[in-house]
Amino acid sequence: MKYHITLHNDIQEVPQLAAFIDEVAEACGIDMATAMSLNLAMEEAVVNVMNYAYPAGTVGNVDIDAEFDDGKLTFILSDSGTPFDPTQTGEPDLTLGAEDRPIGGLGIFLVRQIMDSVEYRYSDGKNILTLTKNIQSNN
Amino acid sequence: MNTTIKEQNGELVAVLDGRLDTAAAVQTEKDLQPLADCAGKNVVLDCNALEYISSSGLRLFLSVLKNAKGKGSHVFITGMNNDIRNVFAMTGFTNLFEFR
Repeated sequence: MKYHITLHNDIQEVPQLAAFIDEVAEACGIDMATAMSLNLAMEEAVVNVMNYAYPAGTVGNVDIDAEFDDGKLTFILSDSGTPFDPTQTGEPDLTLGAEDRPIGGLGIFLVRQIMDSVEYRYSDGKNILTLTKNIQSNN
Repeated sequence: MNTTIKEQNGELVAVLDGRLDTAAAVQTEKDLQPLADCAGKNVVLDCNALEYISSSGLRLFLSVLKNAKGKGSHVFITGMNNDIRNVFAMTGFTNLFEFR
């Protein structure tokens, strides 16, 4: 099963992403808690592209392809913005107290926490981020 | 996403209702602005009707906490669902807040 959606670099389109993820999760028989985690990981990955891939004031696309095969759900995000490898960002220090905790820096960390693999490549002028999640069968 | 601020038993209570995603965070940040003036009052973030939170929402929660701590106030969270509890655990936010 394959699914696709194209969004613009506009964070007001995040609810459309959520609807898309819910549709994919339902079609693949994925439980609600896992669907919510997938929603979170995908929101963080896509918002990162929406906010940073394209120069401010310009319109750009982010394409999201999803495929469910043999218990593995794969998402491929692609955009033609500035080359950026989110797998190279630093880990936040989760042990810091409230006073010292920086505001932000958790989005990509959440992606890595939730997904089983996150791989980046730059090819033909596009950032391509491949995220996979192994889905446990209810059978 | 709907946010309501009320004063109850000498505390500032923010009732969060809906999906706090990146799209909703801009308005929610404005709606939470009254909590900035919390000197002498504790703050309660009522999450009984909060369905979802992403890092944009966590950022707002942390801002409320940093401000309140700076004024000597406590921030209590009530009624988080299991999914949101899990997000708090993953990000170490469980250790930052007080829960009721």
